Amino acid sequence: DFTFKFQSSDPAGNPNFEFQKGWTDLVAEKSGGKIKIELLPVGSVVEYNETLDAVAAGILDGQICDSSYWAGKDPAFGLISNPVGAWSAPEQMIDFVENGGGKELMQELLGSYGLHFIGVSTPGLEAFVSRVPLEGVADLQGVKVRTPEGPIANVFAAAGASPVNLPSSEVFTSIDKGVVDAADYSVFSVNQQQGLNGVAPHPVYPGFHSLPLVEVSMNSAKWDALPDDMKVLMEETVKEFQQTQLAGNRAADEAALAEAEADPAITVHNWSDEERAKFRALGVAEWEKLATQSPMSQKVFDTLTAYLREKGML
Amino acid sequence: MTADRHPDEIDLAATSEGVGPIPAEAGTMGRIVDRVAYVFAAGIVVSAAVLLSEVFLRYVLNRPTIWAHELTVFLCGLAFTFGGLYCTCRNSHIRVVLIYDWLSPGLRRIFDIVISISCAVASGFFAYAAWHMVTRAVWTPSGEIRLETTGSAWSPPTPALIKIFIFVIMVLLVVQFLIFAVNYARRARG
Amino acid sequence: MMDLGFNLQALGIEWGTAVMFGMLIALLLTGMPLAFVTLLVALIFALGWFGPMSIPLITSRVYSFVMNFVFVSVPMFVLMAAILDRSGIARDLFDAMKLFAGRIRGSVAIQTVFVAVILAAMSGIIGGEIVLLGLLALPQMLRLGYDRGLAIGVVCAGGALGTMIPPSIVLIIYGLTANVSIGELFTASFLPGLMLAGFYCAYILARAYLTPGAVPDVDPTPVSRAEKMRLLKGLALPIFVVAAVLGSIYGGIASVTEASAIGVGGVVLSTILRGEFSYALLRGAAMQTLATVGMIVWIGIGATAIVGVYNLMGGVDFVSEMITGISDNPTVIVLVMMAILFFLGAFLDWVGIALLTMPIFVPIIVDLGMDPVWFGVVFCMNMQVSFLSPPFGPAAFYLKSVAPPDITLGIIFRSLLPFIGLQIVALALLIAFPGITGR
Ligand code: NA
Ligand code: NA
Repeated sequence: DFTFKFQSSDPAGNPNFEFQKGWTDLVAEKSGGKIKIELLPVGSVVEYNETLDAVAAGILDGQICDSSYWAGKDPAFGLISNPVGAWSAPEQMIDFVENGGGKELMQELLGSYGLHFIGVSTPGLEAFVSRVPLEGVADLQGVKVRTPEGPIANVFAAAGASPVNLPSSEVFTSIDKGVVDAADYSVFSVNQQQGLNGVAPHPVYPGFHSLPLVEVSMNSAKWDALPDDMKVLMEETVKEFQQTQLAGNRAADEAALAEAEADPAITVHNWSDEERAKFRALGVAEWEKLATQSPMSQKVFDTLTAYLREKGML
Repeated sequence: MTADRHPDEIDLAATSEGVGPIPAEAGTMGRIVDRVAYVFAAGIVVSAAVLLSEVFLRYVLNRPTIWAHELTVFLCGLAFTFGGLYCTCRNSHIRVVLIYDWLSPGLRRIFDIVISISCAVASGFFAYAAWHMVTRAVWTPSGEIRLETTGSAWSPPTPALIKIFIFVIMVLLVVQFLIFAVNYARRARG
Repeated sequence: MMDLGFNLQALGIEWGTAVMFGMLIALLLTGMPLAFVTLLVALIFALGWFGPMSIPLITSRVYSFVMNFVFVSVPMFVLMAAILDRSGIARDLFDAMKLFAGRIRGSVAIQTVFVAVILAAMSGIIGGEIVLLGLLALPQMLRLGYDRGLAIGVVCAGGALGTMIPPSIVLIIYGLTANVSIGELFTASFLPGLMLAGFYCAYILARAYLTPGAVPDVDPTPVSRAEKMRLLKGLALPIFVVAAVLGSIYGGIASVTEASAIGVGGVVLSTILRGEFSYALLRGAAMQTLATVGMIVWIGIGATAIVGVYNLMGGVDFVSEMITGISDNPTVIVLVMMAILFFLGAFLDWVGIALLTMPIFVPIIVDLGMDPVWFGVVFCMNMQVSFLSPPFGPAAFYLKSVAPPDITLGIIFRSLLPFIGLQIVALALLIAFPGITGR
């Protein structure tokens, strides 16, 4: 039978880690114990941005992580995992990956590194953390925004904001003390739970900026060694995990939203479709720049824009 | 591993802030490393200046850069990595000398030789592993040269450069530990 | 998997852990550098448990460790201390503090604690501070007829405050290892740090007024007004540096890492204003910084390597279960952790202790529903003891390097015992009343 070690890009105890753990339980249950997956929290074996190499080398068997971490290997990863402004709901991104050509692109990208793409999930549309009221793109002018690694900093810069690169462990203190005015951090429920909305009382929900693509992938050779029925089982359970995570996070977001709205100190902002479209237009300009940076990037750009056009979203 | 000490003489090299001169056993390579170290020490000072200017640009001019943090991380990363070789040459890595200090001078020499050879062997394995890491950071799967970048807005190729540097330092550590072993052996003989 | 003639996996995790621990201790005692002991053991277990294909996990962790933004503050604080040590700032500060401790019994010892607290608020490491106080305060106290043990204890324990009062490298490394906000750690450690300094002052006063002959009589010579003004100037620059570092963190100007660079700028500017700045001074300070951080980082590299391999072996779960299995009472578990830290602190430098134990301890603390920021302060207080506790007591070593030759290590360690007692009392209070951290 099969025993695998997967590493997550979330810490133990984080709700997303618990959903991922639910997937490994599901696999064990549905395979009648034939496949056992041990899920390790972020940083256990290698750092979050080194798991691709570790899976390729066979140190780890698989990973559940944000694909934008591989943007340094090929900008195509950055474009496909976070085309800033493209999605306004998780279902759109998932449909693109599963039915719009995204899966094939991910497989081609990961396949060249010796990995197999099993499936996709996402924690959902992130909420924006802000100390200052933001009603649209114009309000971003001069706002100091914490951004993580990734091309998203360029989009904020194009919007007139001042992107500041800070590690996630410094976000709370920095926003509390006003080192930065706003932050690209996590989904609404996590922001609320960590007290970010308390110190930065003008969250924008739903966010307009980021919807991470979380990949479930594993070492190709080890995947190939699985019997066909087990492969199908793995893929189907990822789909189930994805639905559980989405529904779970949505419920948590709504509960947290109710809590925030009941708090007189916090004002939740929601951008109009028009303002969201403005931010998306800035994002699209950035996609074009990324597209020229590698052949695979161009391919991602073509497929993505074709999909959006077909759906009338561009 | 420095010159034989009086039992009550304490060894600051055993603490995390200690310093010491380059011992004779480090050989010519030790002296070269000591010279070159200046470049990496300067990198730390430059990092401080870069961070200061970043605070000024952001707080006063409201124009933070996209390169200040990544440049500092790179300069300090080089200094951290090189610092390992530097401390090896100066014999100032932290050690527990509880038993070592009570050994006879002859026995200490033998310990010194065996320790140096073990460290050289370990560094050799790490050089091999670092090479493995370098191949993934420098070449694409299809064999083209592409230096791995940070994937950020600035996206400098610093990950690939640091990985190459780690490989180089591991190789130099092998050489330095072997030089130590040979010189300890020479001294033991006469 | 390549067959290397040995397969450690056959040991199982229980025996694997025992063998790994035994190997670490045995190699450490040979006098092999700590960084290479941990690297070598990590290598042996990676090879023996998983085979050669797993070694790149070690180099991958080395890479991640040296490319960490938060770690950048470590060379900054070390550089700042190195420049400070080479300037006359501390000397003038010591003279200025004469004005405050003035006309009470034991005033020079109290003055030394005050200076130690201000130096501690400027810098984050202890070596330079103890050496400075050893050169400034110790000879003066001995000349005036202070009890030798009291004088030695005040210098070592006071100097060690450098890592208890923020900024502190111990808290930075803890925050890094435990993924906890360093700003919050700093805020939480203020009061406990001042509390410990208060204990030292109380102890000095108790000795001064209760044990005859422990301190000399008060010097009745009045200080002239002009002299007072001149002495007060010595306070200006240190206060400026403290305000720059802590002010930029709490005033929302800079992140902790950036504030460390502001500290460097502050001391450089101070030395320029004092006319002491020179290329040689900066160069010497930078070279010392490289040597210090090289050591700290490579201990970290060794520790991160062994933690990665042990995690892949499934070891961390094993140890966590073992520790949580001790008792249902969280306080008992914390006390067991403290005992482990005391033991390690007697033999090992704090960097190694932090990087080896915190990846295991902190998740347990979080699982038990306790506050990891509070635990960071508790850890930091525990490391205060490790600086003074024999046989491996860095504070004693630093002082020995500048003390008169007739003061042996034995005398120093004996002098430190009451101060270790005070530190343990402070630690016990922190555990009994977590509210002292303001959380
Ligand atoms: Na301090
Ligand atoms: Na100790």
